[in-house]
Amino acid sequence: MSRTIYKIAEYVLTFFFIITLNFFLPRFMPGDPFTFLSSDAGDVTVTCSQAQIDRYKSYYGLDLPLKDQYLHYIGNLFTGDIGYSIYYNDDVVRIIGNRACWTVMLVVVSLILSGIIGTIIGSLSAWFRGRLFDRAAYLFLVGFSEIPAFLTGLVLLFVGGAWLGWFPLSGGIRPFTEFSSVISRTADIIHHAILPVLAMVLTRLGDFYLLSRSSMLTVLSRDYMRTAKGKGLSKPRILFGHALRNAAIPVVTRLFLSLGTIFGGAVLVENVFNYPGIGRLMREAVMVRDYVLIQGIFIFVALSVLSMNLIADILIRKMDPRIG
Amino acid sequence: MGSYTIPAVQDMSIRLTKAMRLGIVGESGSGKTTLALAIMGLLEKRASVNGSIRFAGTDLQQLSEKQRNPYRWSRIALVFQNSLDVLNPVLTVHEQIWECLVRHTTLARADAHETVVSLLESVGMAAEHGPYYPHQLSGGMRQRVLLAMALSCDPEVLILDEPTNALDAVTKTDIINRIARIQQEKQFGLIVISHELQTIARLTSRISVMYRGRIVEEGPTGTMLSLPLHPYTRGLVHASPDINPWRDMWGIPEESETSEFSESSEFSGNGGCPFVSRCCQKTDICQTRVPSLEPAAPERRVACNRGGIVTLLQGTGIHKHFGVNGTSVRACQDCCIRVRSGEAAVLIGESGSGKTTLANILSGILNPDRGDIRFNGEPVVRSRASRRKKGMQIIFQDPYSAINANLGVEQAIREPLDILGQDLPEHKTASVIRALQQVGLPVDDHFRRRKCHTLSGGQRQRIAIARALVMDPAILIADEISAMLDPSTQANILRLLKGLQNHHGFAMLYITHDLAVAQKIADWVYVMNHGKIVEQGDARQIFTNPAHPYTRKLVGQHFPEITRKTGDIPSSCVKNKPYVITRNPALAKAA
Ligand SMILES: Nc1ncnc2c1ncn2[C@@H]1O[C@H](COP(=O)(O)OP(=O)(O)OP(=O)(O)O)[C@@H](O)[C@H]1O
Ligand code: SF4
Ligand SMILES: [Mg+2]
Repeated sequence: MSRTIYKIAEYVLTFFFIITLNFFLPRFMPGDPFTFLSSDAGDVTVTCSQAQIDRYKSYYGLDLPLKDQYLHYIGNLFTGDIGYSIYYNDDVVRIIGNRACWTVMLVVVSLILSGIIGTIIGSLSAWFRGRLFDRAAYLFLVGFSEIPAFLTGLVLLFVGGAWLGWFPLSGGIRPFTEFSSVISRTADIIHHAILPVLAMVLTRLGDFYLLSRSSMLTVLSRDYMRTAKGKGLSKPRILFGHALRNAAIPVVTRLFLSLGTIFGGAVLVENVFNYPGIGRLMREAVMVRDYVLIQGIFIFVALSVLSMNLIADILIRKMDPRIG
Repeated sequence: MGSYTIPAVQDMSIRLTKAMRLGIVGESGSGKTTLALAIMGLLEKRASVNGSIRFAGTDLQQLSEKQRNPYRWSRIALVFQNSLDVLNPVLTVHEQIWECLVRHTTLARADAHETVVSLLESVGMAAEHGPYYPHQLSGGMRQRVLLAMALSCDPEVLILDEPTNALDAVTKTDIINRIARIQQEKQFGLIVISHELQTIARLTSRISVMYRGRIVEEGPTGTMLSLPLHPYTRGLVHASPDINPWRDMWGIPEESETSEFSESSEFSGNGGCPFVSRCCQKTDICQTRVPSLEPAAPERRVACNRGGIVTLLQGTGIHKHFGVNGTSVRACQDCCIRVRSGEAAVLIGESGSGKTTLANILSGILNPDRGDIRFNGEPVVRSRASRRKKGMQIIFQDPYSAINANLGVEQAIREPLDILGQDLPEHKTASVIRALQQVGLPVDDHFRRRKCHTLSGGQRQRIAIARALVMDPAILIADEISAMLDPSTQANILRLLKGLQNHHGFAMLYITHDLAVAQKIADWVYVMNHGKIVEQGDARQIFTNPAHPYTRKLVGQHFPEITRKTGDIPSSCVKNKPYVITRNPALAKAA
């Protein structure tokens, strides 16, 4: 019981730490949003006079002391008001909402794919330890994981998109198109997502592969595996009922905890493929010093990572009776 | 990294007939678990198994994994050696038993759940323990779960690997009793692997003793434990307080330092007897010849080049009478006595029962009227056996008459060496000093020059013992040597003798009327009354369940509480009759 309270307190504290950091970080960055204030989205055209800047500053409350700004910020946060983007001239929550589903799709799909594929290959590798399959898989996957996601992405873009022409070069969906059905729309989304997902999966695969391979190797050498074999159980039961249930525990933990890492990958990959997700949004926001938007994205990412940690905590407790 | 093979188990053959209860005994690392795993086909691929494991006519070794599975658990089940890791940590106790039932029986899934509950109850767990995870169980509970799991599919053969290791006495007894009861009921074949002789004694009817992966001795449980034939088996028995609760515990000496056998040559099996470096009766052929398991006594086989523990001193049909004032006193009547190598035999009896007479006859000091006395197979004639090293030494009851009081201490002790005339003088002095140290006397020049008549009775007694020890005897006959000693010195001397015996393996015939002392040191007890040996047996039997009325009276007088408590002694240890060893003549010659 006290453990649960402790855990909750930990999460609350972490959250506060993050939103505080989120508030101060952009304010200590050089430059300010009014340098790049624009009339049309995307094009930096107007340079403001000092008087205008001051007016805007007071309009957005940026001339108040930091303490007051901070209290304001916290207060708004809890009413769900993250703010209004100066640059995009739109509500931050709405901007992020429009973009988030793309990134969530990329991240979730590539996490699940790399987790599952990595675990399967890793388990097989452990099972066939030292044989050709094991060695080939090891070399290939560990090799790939050393290459950063955006580089893999670039190569994929050149080969699959430009050279072979199999996949679209950019975007998340064909623009200015009326889709006849949900199916053709989905197909188009998938078509666009394949390369970015592939780039991210290839980068993450080695990690999950190594982890599940070593986890499986440990499990296979444990006494209880001998017990299971001695009981004359069927191979699937031994492999899935006994081995994988133990070997999967660290893999699942990593699956949830690596969200931050994979998000970092997504930012780069999205920029390579010009994918309309949070990653690209973030780059744009940073370019124009849009504090409010940057803060919003940070909060979004922090909340996702925190909630994934929470889910991992709960799930591991369910999977491993020795914990909790 | 070099690779090498360790033969964990060699030339091992065991037979298990229906409902038979076989015990496999051996020290840690002697290959017991390896054997169990080999039977189940669970050794890693790295391990190679040669030979055949036949079950109801099928050679299990020839089967593929898939073909083997129907044999596993439903026909041969194993109670794995208890460890934290032996049960799957993420599955509940219930699930782990249940999956065996689902796999091997035709029970419906729902019925299987009920069966799990009744299985748990049959091993002394509650149904509430079903949803427990392995880490929530105590060692004893885990042992019970392992047992329930092994029993789940009604196997025809049950193998128990260390079923009572590291359990408290109450749990141990409970588990043993349950196993015994279930075996009675279901009549499955039982193989109990353990180094705890108490468990083996309780659960099995036959024993195979393993050493370094080989069987060194086998036979019925009762006689094996009361009269072991192999030095290793005897060592195990001596090291087990539950077999004889009074005797001091002595482990088997570890590898002697002089062992010129490297680990590898011992393991290769060509280096001779596997036990040679720890054996106290080895001879030259033991270094080169691997002994095979040969019959040594009814139903018993032992693997020893010398046919098992050798008899050092054997007296048969000894008669002696003394004529006193015209009447004849029959001091010894048809006495038969035997002392084996490394054994502490104790001769007990009242004053005047003829103990000293018998001792004197055995040592060749006194001639018997009739009878045959052999030391190491040769007849004992006068002092032939005592005037040599590795021979027979006797320490007399009365230290005053035993030593010439006018001799100096060193002179008195080295006298037998002088008579022998083999050693250089400085070697003799070294021997004397060592012997003096052993018996706890000063070794300085001054003391060594003192005349014996200036010493106390206890000191003289110790001089007498030192005098016997310098001859490095194979057998020591000690006649009431502790009578003259204060309790502390007596305790020291007894420990000294037992310790020397354990390390150098000499045998001892210890004559006393003090039953408490007898209990402490005896392996085998002879009871003498009016010139006759009325009873003999292993110490536990004599002191807990004496057969002869005289022994009963004697023991009853000394230990009234023991004779009342006979009830809780494992039956297999108690029932044993005087035992005749039929030595294999071929082996005797070889030795
Ligand atoms: N997997 C293995 N690889 C190499 N050597 C092994 C292996 N398993 C056992 N051995 C060796 O085989 C010998 C016998 O081991 P085993 O486990 O059968 O002993 P044991 O008699 O069951 O001991 P304990 O009483 O401690 O359980 C030991 O020398 C051990 O070191
Ligand atoms: S006497 Fe020889 S063969 Fe017999 S146990 Fe001793 S060393 Fe082995
Ligand atoms: Mg073992």
